[in-house]
Amino acid sequence: MACPIAIASGHDPTQLRLSAAEGYLLSRIDGRTPWRLLREIGGIPAADVDACLERWLDQGIVEVVGGGAAGGRPAAVDAASAPPVVTTTIPIDASLLDPALDIDCTVQRRILEFELSLSRPYHELLGVPAGADPKAVKRAYFKLSKEFHPDRYFRREIGPFAQRLERIFKKVLEAHEILSDPDLRQVANQSEAAVAEAVDVVRSETAPSSATGASDSGPSSSGAAHPVAASTNPASVPSATTGARPSGASTTAKGEPPATSAQSVSSEGPEPASVAPAKVDARTQERLSKLERLKQRMPFKIDQTALAARRARAREIFQAAEASLSAGRFNEAEASIRIAITFDPSRAEYKEALGALRIRAAGDRAAKLLETPSDRMSAAELRDVLDLIEDVLPYRPHDAELNLRAAKVCLQLGRHDEAVEYVETLLETDPDRASHHSLLGRIELARGDGAAARRAFEKALSIDREDLDARRSLASMRIAAHDAARGGRR
Amino acid sequence: MSRVIGIDLGTTNSCVAVIENGQPTVIPNAGGYKTTPSMFGISQDGKRLVGHLAKRQAITNARNTIFASKRLIGRRFDDPEVQKSIDLCPYEIVRGPNDDPRIKIGGKTFTCPEIAGIVLREMKRVAEEYLSETVQEAVITVPAYFNDAQRQCTKDAGKIAGLEVLRIINEPTAAALAYGMNRTGDEKIAVYDLGGGTFDISILEMSDGVVEVLATSGNTFLGGEDLDRRIVQHLVEWFQDEASLDLRGDTMALQRLKDAAEKAKCDLSLRDAVEINLPFIASDADGPRHLNYELTREKLEELVGDIVEGTLKSVEQCLVDAGVTAAEVDQVVLVGGQTRMPLVQRRVTEFFGKRPHKGVNPDEVVALGAAVQAAMLLDNNNDMLLLDVTPLSLGIGTYGGHFARLIERNTTVPVSKGHVFTTTRDDQSAVKIRVLQGESDIAAENDLLGEFVLSGIRPAPKGEPEIEVSFDIDANGIVSVSARDLATGKEQSITVSSTGKLSDAEIEQIIQEHDLYEVQLKG
Repeated sequence: MACPIAIASGHDPTQLRLSAAEGYLLSRIDGRTPWRLLREIGGIPAADVDACLERWLDQGIVEVVGGGAAGGRPAAVDAASAPPVVTTTIPIDASLLDPALDIDCTVQRRILEFELSLSRPYHELLGVPAGADPKAVKRAYFKLSKEFHPDRYFRREIGPFAQRLERIFKKVLEAHEILSDPDLRQVANQSEAAVAEAVDVVRSETAPSSATGASDSGPSSSGAAHPVAASTNPASVPSATTGARPSGASTTAKGEPPATSAQSVSSEGPEPASVAPAKVDARTQERLSKLERLKQRMPFKIDQTALAARRARAREIFQAAEASLSAGRFNEAEASIRIAITFDPSRAEYKEALGALRIRAAGDRAAKLLETPSDRMSAAELRDVLDLIEDVLPYRPHDAELNLRAAKVCLQLGRHDEAVEYVETLLETDPDRASHHSLLGRIELARGDGAAARRAFEKALSIDREDLDARRSLASMRIAAHDAARGGRR
Repeated sequence: MSRVIGIDLGTTNSCVAVIENGQPTVIPNAGGYKTTPSMFGISQDGKRLVGHLAKRQAITNARNTIFASKRLIGRRFDDPEVQKSIDLCPYEIVRGPNDDPRIKIGGKTFTCPEIAGIVLREMKRVAEEYLSETVQEAVITVPAYFNDAQRQCTKDAGKIAGLEVLRIINEPTAAALAYGMNRTGDEKIAVYDLGGGTFDISILEMSDGVVEVLATSGNTFLGGEDLDRRIVQHLVEWFQDEASLDLRGDTMALQRLKDAAEKAKCDLSLRDAVEINLPFIASDADGPRHLNYELTREKLEELVGDIVEGTLKSVEQCLVDAGVTAAEVDQVVLVGGQTRMPLVQRRVTEFFGKRPHKGVNPDEVVALGAAVQAAMLLDNNNDMLLLDVTPLSLGIGTYGGHFARLIERNTTVPVSKGHVFTTTRDDQSAVKIRVLQGESDIAAENDLLGEFVLSGIRPAPKGEPEIEVSFDIDANGIVSVSARDLATGKEQSITVSSTGKLSDAEIEQIIQEHDLYEVQLKG
């Protein structure tokens, strides 16, 4: 069943234009790791792993070791290629259900499910088609209100569900407010499209090589858009507030600041950051219609220039990070990448780079670790080394050197069971190495399982007749057995 | 569980209702009346009188009988409306320690929530006698245009009356609930509420048991009593011409005129002309003088025509707010005794192009609706839902004395809205957040609900710090405001409690005082 994937011979993967994520996935392809495992260790969602691998298979970049053309992909998880983001059944945390509350468990479940899907686009939230007329919107809004309005559970003991209901109702209210106003709706649609587009741009920048990849990641890109598009507070859209401030808009101050201020602090009221400059004339402002005000408070106001500025800044910082990286200053690089992420959180590349950096740093530490042979270490030192290896190993689960070292250290420490596990990992990826088998033999011997040890040594010798370790051990085993036999007779 | 009542605490009359066998029912008082005058008096021998008893002795004891105190509740003493009342009312209005108007009768000073509490206590008693069980919870109605302070004081009044107030709802909304109960299908309705002291108009949409308030508007100082006053004014002027006697300084004569005017007004809803006969209205050197005047419906309509037109202006505004045209309104519900006036009915019919709904009693429908809302909240099987709105815009005061709205009026609650503000000076370390309610763009013209200071802002050039101010109104209408410095994450917040309202200790003291009084009376 396990069909490892390998880089096709004759291909130079360094010539491919890959995103960091794809590069990382490619680096996991070693001719031993099967597809199923790649899904887990690929560092990107399983569906994306599938998409990438399919594409590379088609392009002939990778191939299935020893398998037919279609044998690589395990069929069991095929469904995973369906949109991974919003499906109708949302896994809820069942521990949140509380039968002690004065609210039915099925209703609790429904509330939890609905709350988890609040980030859907407005029309989906209300359960109406994208272009639904105001009447349908109103009906849907009434229906959901009847279900989720906090008054439905007035005075009832519903614990944390009171807040959930309030959150849900506020969101439903917002959806109705936007969708029932043609102008707001248009603004919302544009912004949603803009956000989706922005995400697409990022996607295509990171994965320029393929159209398939972009379309495959479509559903997840709309998912990524929502934390921005759906936030209740315009303020939480960083781009909407930065750089968009009409400086000095209301500096023509008329009327006096509030007189009553006993505090020594400066007591002037704050100035609205992005309220219209029209504040100057109170009369004009009075004429400002409800629509205008609502528009200003729209959560979707995305200032494209501000957004671009932030992106550019993020790129700059990221380049600096890359420079530190190539100079080997990992800590500095990590800090820079983190800053870049805060400036442009939508860009997956940075996050992936951060992940890759951590792995690289781990590898670096591992290499230093392996410099000193473990046989010269004290037990305390050995334990430290083992701790370190366990830290690093999750990043490089199939690193032969690390596994080997871990097995040896465990053997030295007398933790035989663990040692066996490490060796077995080694053998999984590389079953044909004599030294690993003889190591297993030594561990089994130390464990006191002579028969298993003998099998392991013999296996080692069957691979490599010249394996010194195995030959010596087998010889000494034979001598020991001989002695024992003689002693027994005596 | 004891039953929950709905109380329409009116300017002139109050009414109480309860759900019986699934139907809202008005509870009559011991005298068989379905409404009780919102009056409170202290008789010459020191007895405290409420309702009909107070009204009966109002003429002879005008200085010690309080009426229309709803016009004062929750206002500040310097409020022009309070000043207007001081000129018009025979009882004494004084300035309280919290700058609130208080009423002094029988040598004792009462706060406005206390007086409203006395009326509510009477309504509670009426309900308890009828139901033969104690009542502890109520839904109370207020005019849609009541601000936060006025609502809060009404809640305090409930507390003083020994009632837990489940919810304060708007009168027109309550009327719509009573009208919409057991109705299915989609409808847009207009509730035109011209009561004794206030005018309210609301546009609502209902569908399948859900009632949504689209918009509401009105005038807290316009109502039937203004019509009475016009008649009184006319009579006084006429009498001055006729008998060369000025009745303005004579409180007893004024009270008699007021009663006669009200009665004539009501009679003119059914007849074309009425006689106003007030013998011995005054006396001068020539002996006693009598007032004898025939008031025609035509004359009345001439006297008050502009008031009715004024209400229609509000209706127009409300329709605009709701985004509905007059023709789109499916049903017009009239509320308040004053809507019995033929002129009002005629003008409303002309305005909407359709006859108003006839099925509800304008005096009782609000209390019925309050009872419906109480049932809605507490009965799990009830299939109705009210989507209520916030009556006035909420926001904060900003640099230059402007008002920045965060929550627009007529916004459905519960709701949260936020906005980012910044500093106005270099290295400004603190900002004061002043929470305001009202419709003016000038901060000073709106009501101050509360204020707090957010300090510890890191030094930065002006305009750089980002301070996020969030408003939150929960389902019970409680407003909380928070300000957060986005750079440091430092946060300050308040839950708005109106200024000038009674403290819990004061309420407790008033309750004890009244309990004491009741014991005395019985003993």
